[in-house]
Amino acid sequence: MTLGYRPGTGVLHRAHPFTVLALAGTVAVLAFTLSAPLGPMLLTAGLVAIAVAARVSRTLLTALAFAAPFWVFLVLIHVVFGDSPDRAVTVGSQISAVLVVFLMTLAAVHPGRLVDALLERGVPFHVAYLLVATLQSVPELQRRASAILDAQRCRGLRVRGSVWGRVRSVVPLAVPLVLGALGEVDDRALALEARGAASGLRRTPLDPPHDRLAERVTRWALLGSVLGTIAWRIVA
Amino acid sequence: MTVALDGVRYRYPAGDSDALRDVTLAFGAGEVTLVTGRLGAGCSTLLLVAAGLAPHVTGGARSGSVTTLGVDPASDKGRRKVAGRIGLLLPTPWTQLSGMSYTVREEVAFGPANLGWPRDRIGRAVSGAMALVGIEHLADRDPRTLSGGELQRVMLAGITAMDPEVLLLDEPTLELDPEGARMVYRLLPALAREKTVVLATTDVDRAVEVVTRVVLLDRGSVTADGTPDDVLGTDRAVALGCSTTIAEIVRVAGHAAPFPLTVRAAVRRFAR
Repeated sequence: MTLGYRPGTGVLHRAHPFTVLALAGTVAVLAFTLSAPLGPMLLTAGLVAIAVAARVSRTLLTALAFAAPFWVFLVLIHVVFGDSPDRAVTVGSQISAVLVVFLMTLAAVHPGRLVDALLERGVPFHVAYLLVATLQSVPELQRRASAILDAQRCRGLRVRGSVWGRVRSVVPLAVPLVLGALGEVDDRALALEARGAASGLRRTPLDPPHDRLAERVTRWALLGSVLGTIAWRIVA
Repeated sequence: MTVALDGVRYRYPAGDSDALRDVTLAFGAGEVTLVTGRLGAGCSTLLLVAAGLAPHVTGGARSGSVTTLGVDPASDKGRRKVAGRIGLLLPTPWTQLSGMSYTVREEVAFGPANLGWPRDRIGRAVSGAMALVGIEHLADRDPRTLSGGELQRVMLAGITAMDPEVLLLDEPTLELDPEGARMVYRLLPALAREKTVVLATTDVDRAVEVVTRVVLLDRGSVTADGTPDDVLGTDRAVALGCSTTIAEIVRVAGHAAPFPLTVRAAVRRFAR
């Protein structure tokens, strides 16, 4: 299970980063405004189709791994101990749709291209970098957690077995993860300064993405669909 | 002199004593200076202060005068003036990754791009820097998949691609194998022809082969400053554990100072 950008040549990789982000934002809104349960279900199915077509289908497995516990709890609460399976399907589909689109965005948007796109729109480098660093923090923390897990296992930590044993193993994993990340902040700040990130000069976009007319139209259409759905929900 | 420190004291925000005490030093182009000392002597801090990152980024309190490339590099005005003209290589390459590059070529280009250079100039600088440190074969690799040594060379390329006038190298061979370390040290005299090169390391055995001047620090103070033989060939340097293995062997064998620092120097002295 790998989070973060993966090089590729699919349609989402080739698309302008703003288009992929617009898709993600649209899905996040539509998942909670479309009629339930059919709307979120169709939305999730549509995203699965997009992921396969865009050759980022590996993200579906990751999304499944993240969504599975939610589905289990939803089925327990609303189906086994309750009588509202529609509610389970609705909430489950909403969570799945948001997860899939978020992971697709992480996998398909090259952080450097996103920064270049933002710089071309006049966004200051430090703002663009902050946005990208936030997106990158997920895979970065995942990599770090994996290394800490290996190190603690070498030192005899048991991460399998009873539920209580697993809960106890969280502390020796979480504490170094958080403290290590905080401890590196100073080093990273020094490195960024040393590499001219705070020079105050206008950074040169290395690979500015081409913003085609079709993509601009697509983004407006996505915005229109969001506004239209919200208006329809208010009126209906 | 491109870097001049006069009566500099510096204390970290959480420190209960000064990391640098009354340091007065000057560095110029044409020489490779080794700054060394025991752990906590203040070698890394000296580089941070010379680059202006202490106290600008690290916080803390500094007194005395620091002039790098004609300005105080920690002042707001100075920061803009020295941006890209001081190259600082930190000892932990993985914390220096830009986080927005998925090939080594992009990573090396991060610094030059921040300086607003035209794309063709960036391309030439990146190719030149990668050739200089011998990492052309890594150009399309994801930096996150590299070994520590490879990554350290990528970071060195990233710094040299910015063509800085002052190169401050903090343990640049910490992650490198012996051959990689030798290769990096061999670059320094050539770089020092036009740049000011200051090297902070405890890898004295290899560094001593290329440096022309040594500054010995102890608990934040300069205790010796001179040629490698004058500084490292002394009883004091060997007793501090800051000299070379050869010097230590010769001292333990009962010979008197000055001690030879390299195998070649020892052969010259003892071989009949």
